[in-house]
Amino acid sequence: MIRREFAVADEYPYDRRSPLRWLSAHILRYPALLITFLLTTIGMAVSQSMSAVTVGQAFDTVIRGAGLPALTTAALLVVAAYVGYGLFDIVNSMAIRVLAQRVERDTRDELYLSLLSKSQTFHGRQRVGDLMARVTNDVQQINQFVSPALGMTTESVLSLVIPLITIATLDLNLLLVPLVFLLCLTLALRQHNNNLRPVAGQLRANFGALNAGLAETITGIEVVKGFAQEAAEEARFRANARAYRDSFVREGDVTARYLPLLLYGIAVGLAFGHALFLFQRGVISVGQVITYMALVGTLRSPIRFLLMTSSIVQQSMASARRILEMILTETELDQNSAGIAKPMSGDIVFEAVGFSYGAVAQKDDANAPPVLSDISFHAKPGQTIAIVGQTGAGKSTLTKLLNRTFDVSTGRVRIDGIDVKDWSLDGLRAQMATIEQDIFLFSRTIAENIAFGAREPVTQAQIENAAREAQAHEFISAFPKGYETVIGERGVMLSGGQRQRIAIARAFLSDPRILVLDDSTSAIDSNTEDQIQRAMRRILKGRTTLLITHRLSQIRTADHILLMKNGRLIAQGAHNDLMAHSAAYRQIFALDDLLQRAKKEVI
Amino acid sequence: MSIMGGLSAEEYDRSYSDWQLVRRIAAYFRPHLGKVALVAFMVTLTSFVATITPIIVSRGIDALGGSPQLQLLLAMAAAVTLLGALGWVFKFVQQRFSARAVGSVVLALREDAFRAVMRRDLSFYDQYASGRIVSRVTSDTQDFATVVTLTIDLLSQLVLVVVISIVMFIQNTQLALITLALGPVVVFIALLFRRLARRAMQQSQRAQATVNATIQETISGIAVAKNFRQEAAIYDDFKATNELAYKVQINRVAVFGSIFPLLNTVSGIGVAVIVYAGGLLAISQSISVGAWYLFVQSLTIFFYPITSIASFWSQFQQGLAASERVFALIDAEPQVVQTANEPVGRLRGELRFENVTFNYSTGRSAVLQDFSLNISAGETLAIVGHTGAGKSSLVKLMMRFYEFQSGRLLVDGRDIRALDLTVYRRQLGLVPQAPFLFSGSVADNIRYGRPEASDDDVAAAARQLGDGSWLDDLPNGIQTDVGERGARLSLGQRQLVALARVLLQNPAILLLDEATASIDPFTEAQVQVALATVLRGRTSVVIAHRLSTVRAADRIIVLRDGQIIEEGNHDGLLARGGHYAELYTTYFRHQSTEYQPWQELDAAQVQ
Repeated sequence: MIRREFAVADEYPYDRRSPLRWLSAHILRYPALLITFLLTTIGMAVSQSMSAVTVGQAFDTVIRGAGLPALTTAALLVVAAYVGYGLFDIVNSMAIRVLAQRVERDTRDELYLSLLSKSQTFHGRQRVGDLMARVTNDVQQINQFVSPALGMTTESVLSLVIPLITIATLDLNLLLVPLVFLLCLTLALRQHNNNLRPVAGQLRANFGALNAGLAETITGIEVVKGFAQEAAEEARFRANARAYRDSFVREGDVTARYLPLLLYGIAVGLAFGHALFLFQRGVISVGQVITYMALVGTLRSPIRFLLMTSSIVQQSMASARRILEMILTETELDQNSAGIAKPMSGDIVFEAVGFSYGAVAQKDDANAPPVLSDISFHAKPGQTIAIVGQTGAGKSTLTKLLNRTFDVSTGRVRIDGIDVKDWSLDGLRAQMATIEQDIFLFSRTIAENIAFGAREPVTQAQIENAAREAQAHEFISAFPKGYETVIGERGVMLSGGQRQRIAIARAFLSDPRILVLDDSTSAIDSNTEDQIQRAMRRILKGRTTLLITHRLSQIRTADHILLMKNGRLIAQGAHNDLMAHSAAYRQIFALDDLLQRAKKEVI
Repeated sequence: MSIMGGLSAEEYDRSYSDWQLVRRIAAYFRPHLGKVALVAFMVTLTSFVATITPIIVSRGIDALGGSPQLQLLLAMAAAVTLLGALGWVFKFVQQRFSARAVGSVVLALREDAFRAVMRRDLSFYDQYASGRIVSRVTSDTQDFATVVTLTIDLLSQLVLVVVISIVMFIQNTQLALITLALGPVVVFIALLFRRLARRAMQQSQRAQATVNATIQETISGIAVAKNFRQEAAIYDDFKATNELAYKVQINRVAVFGSIFPLLNTVSGIGVAVIVYAGGLLAISQSISVGAWYLFVQSLTIFFYPITSIASFWSQFQQGLAASERVFALIDAEPQVVQTANEPVGRLRGELRFENVTFNYSTGRSAVLQDFSLNISAGETLAIVGHTGAGKSSLVKLMMRFYEFQSGRLLVDGRDIRALDLTVYRRQLGLVPQAPFLFSGSVADNIRYGRPEASDDDVAAAARQLGDGSWLDDLPNGIQTDVGERGARLSLGQRQLVALARVLLQNPAILLLDEATASIDPFTEAQVQVALATVLRGRTSVVIAHRLSTVRAADRIIVLRDGQIIEEGNHDGLLARGGHYAELYTTYFRHQSTEYQPWQELDAAQVQ
């Protein structure tokens, strides 16, 4: 069993040993639909053959010189065969399509549940776009696998087999041409597939390149025009468009060479010859010749279906593999529910901490250089620690070791003297809050978004209180619907500063001991900035805070400053210490100086 | 989604009469007339083959009535075989040549559309989302191609219907009329289905869009839910949405799953009718058994095109609409038009606005009204003002990205409308607020304005900024891949690349829109030092958002509603206590190293 952070009680157990078994398990979950589908498919194939037989019999009736009543009976039999076919067809098509929709729904549910049960580490590494692609495209592809691919394939196979059986009942000799045809068809189809796949892939790739290239030119049009590079861009576009045209023509050529069609054309002629020959020998009747020709005619549609389905099946198997791979990815953490869960005071110690994704990623970048190395510092309860450094220096990775989004590779992180790995995950995270740089709010009411931070149900008064503390009450009240305003609806777009304050209110309600605050974006105007800074000041109070910031004033007033570069701590201490001892630190504050000097050089 | 994006109307859309559309499309096919004629010929031949085969078979069946000679039967079988092979050959030739013709036509159409897009000035790009422009050039032309292919297909089927009908009438008028009477029934069902299908499709698309949005949100929300340990709540949300999606799809399935069984049953009943009616005629010896057989066969051949025409009709209309959109794009007129193409030498960098009036589009209020400003060569001018004051409009007019309505804009004393725009723009260095980088390396991007520059020149330009240490912070130095739109670089690093790009270009005039977003203090220091280098010795117009920049400028103009309301340098203006001082409190105050907004808060708490 995979270790997991979250589970629900009534989960359906799917066989996950291979993509094929997994797909089968999903399909077999609904045996009634599956059996209905199979039975009606047989029904369809039989009634289709029967329609050919009944038409043939009608001819024989007339040729034999039987009267009107016999003809009426024969015609009614034809009607019966076709209506029977239609009824089977409707039930059949509903059964397989409903099955496909259920499988899609179940797959999405299974995948989502497994995503929920994965660790923060996993989600920290995963791009949302990638997950979205799996949950939407790949899951839809599984639907396609059931319908049309599985449906059509079953139908195609049965509508090859049943006519063959019917032909055999006319006369065994008649099987000769269809069997040889089927053999050649299989070979030709495989051949065609092998020819088409690379060409079709190339065509898709060329279209992608054409689109992406154009999108880039248009998004960057100001630069293109600013540097007067229109001609260069046109040359680039034309090259892409020509490459696409060439692939388009190549694909057309491969499609034109579709051999199964030629085989079928020849098979019809040979079958006709064979049937006439057998008639002349007195082996079969005219009606049987007609039935036989009609049955040979039914062999035509599987040729088209099989071509369509084989590429869908290939894509679906790839999708199934990707989904399963994601479901089966080991999550590194468990809930550790037996661990320590006591109130914390917020004393944080990093002891020679190192971290590299290699330990997390297992396979892809096992040799990646360490993201953090040799980080040691101590934050006493209630202190504010400012983390300063360039983008990519490892600032936010460092904060993620605290709530075990990632686990350290070397060294130790201790809270209140206890290794974070020994805390229960619930106990640890419940007493921490993170306010990210990009704040994510749900498309629900503002009140619900703020209440999201609370562990127990909260009152409206508590929500408003938190909003007041976060300096958010004023702008929330200004909305016509106040706290019941749904975010994202009817153009209710919040500014970055407003989102930030709602996130702070959310954190107020969860009342954490430790706060991680990424404040690396700043507001454009000073008034908003004033309010955000005040809100922050309030929430910092009495909590140990790791503050990622670019703001010199915040850096200056922090209790302790960590100066990071390329994953290392190059200096730490209070502002005055650092001004005295760290050249790198002084550089930040010497900007005005630098500018003055640069200006003098000009003069 | 992409279809919906492409389908929405734009202001420049116009409608063309069917005749105009056909003529436009025909013009694109004219260079490929030979191929088109060949394709048409092959289509006709294919139809004849498809008709002759059942005729031969029916003759064969008739021959069975007497006691035929084996040679005759074998000859018939051989003829059917040969026709099968010939049919394949005709189709082969048809597809090869239609792929070539269609491919080339789409290429020409795309090139025309691209050139048309490039001719537009920036007002066009402001107005229309880039994704939609792209989809017109790529997807709409693609839809057009699909339609042409589809049309060829439909035409071949139509030819077949006509030929079969003629054959049927020659054989027996009564039976032919019965068969033809079934046509309208099928068309009626298909049309009915089309209406149902469209409604079901619209409903499902609309519902699917909400469902997708919720799913996207529940996925993006996983991290937040985990932070607050709210997995169960978010799972319930997801489950409800997933169930909704399922129900919507089941509705759609019910419509789409029933149409083909229905049509097949109708055509089956048609077969039974022909079997019965034909049988009657055959008993009364009015027609031969073979002719009877031919009718049964023809019915299937006859029905197939009618059903497919009905179901492809909407696709056909979509394609025509797509070509209409492409033509509208090609025909839209740019607003910036040069009156002459006078050569431009090295500019001194003197800019003069004389009573310029400008609005972004007719009907909207003027951004600049009777605006005049002199910028002397070599001056560093900072423009400040609230959002919407007209700061970036000034810069965009200097770039000649937009057309102004009256007044004059003089560059070194010459009318900007008369200059060779390509040469002129190459002497202007533009650094936008959020610099756009093309995918490729840092070096590729620096080289963008001067593709012929050597590696050494590129490196030198980059090293000129600060001490060049910003390159050392990149994983692969100057060869670092910047990713799509520069996503792998931080904002500060992107700005440094944009500055190096301008430095290599060595423009006579620098136009800079400073970033409003904050960057880390290390990079900030590098950017500021770099700026000092770039501004040196050239006319510079800076839309200033940084306190340090306004302080360093030779002259500051304060803009409000397109008017200069104050002018001077930082210290002088601040001392005056006017508009600039007010702006300072609103926008620049918090950038000061002394900024501490919570002091008053702490003080209030002490009280």
